Amino acid sequence: MDRFRNEPYLLINFILAGVIILVFIYSGIFSPEKNSYPVVCVHEKLTGEECVSCGLSHSFSLIIRGEISEAYDWNVYGLRVFIFFAAQLVMRIIFSIFYLKYPETNNQLITYDIAVSAMLFLVCFLPFIETLISQFH
Amino acid sequence: MEDFTSSTGQPSGKSPVSNTKQPAGQNLGVAALITAIVTFILAVIPCVGLIAMIPGIIAIVLASVGLSQASRSDSPRGLLIAGLIIASVATMISFSQVFVVGRISDKFKNKWGSDIENVINDVQENVLNELEDANVSIKVESNGEKVEINTSVNKKNREQQLEELEEADSVRKDTLVRKK
Repeated sequence: MDRFRNEPYLLINFILAGVIILVFIYSGIFSPEKNSYPVVCVHEKLTGEECVSCGLSHSFSLIIRGEISEAYDWNVYGLRVFIFFAAQLVMRIIFSIFYLKYPETNNQLITYDIAVSAMLFLVCFLPFIETLISQFH
Repeated sequence: MEDFTSSTGQPSGKSPVSNTKQPAGQNLGVAALITAIVTFILAVIPCVGLIAMIPGIIAIVLASVGLSQASRSDSPRGLLIAGLIIASVATMISFSQVFVVGRISDKFKNKWGSDIENVINDVQENVLNELEDANVSIKVESNGEKVEINTSVNKKNREQQLEELEEADSVRKDTLVRKK
């Protein structure tokens, strides 16, 4: 535990992995059939119209249950956002192991992690970023 | 007070405090950075983008407090500055979602406005059409006498009546001409 305290990178990895696992548990607990998701879309509440990220919770739940085509119907971008979270979970674990095993390459590892995560974020969240930017044109 | 340092200025024994003590503000920095990253991810998702403002502000407060602590004790501030920058950017993105909602509201307000106008026009047309085919019943009761007049103001009937009246009028004109 002291190792985690002294190494902020490991602590961040540990907590981010925890957050992603919580997201997956949330998607697993709430089923699309019951439609009892506690998080509602603020846009839909205000405008009455669905936004680009509506149906993401349904999509995640269906992906976890292996129903990919139905997940695609709920939200077209659900799969790529899910891939981002899944990839991040794997990356947190792998990078933490590398960080502990090869302390001499820690700086390079962190740089590589930041670059890959940023690229992955841009690719997976591009539709949402585009929607956000398009509102200012 | 117990002396932990030798004459060289180095710790003379094992101090439980010196082993576990973090540089000032580092715990706050880690907390701020994690909150900022989570905020950043949430802020980009339109559904929950507005809500992300709350953790964003929390992250800014944590990083600011950590920075003030770190600056007082000359501790490293890299983590805190990173947390503060990410939290600020994430909060700005989250705040920009307000404008997105505003734009969408405006768009649908106009759409709803025209929809309401269409509905009113439709209702008006329907009422006029129904009135054309209305059946009117008038009941008059006076001194125990009841008079009931039923009339149909059907459009077709009206047209027929009009034609009949016109025919009758033309016949009357003909007779008048003959009388002359």
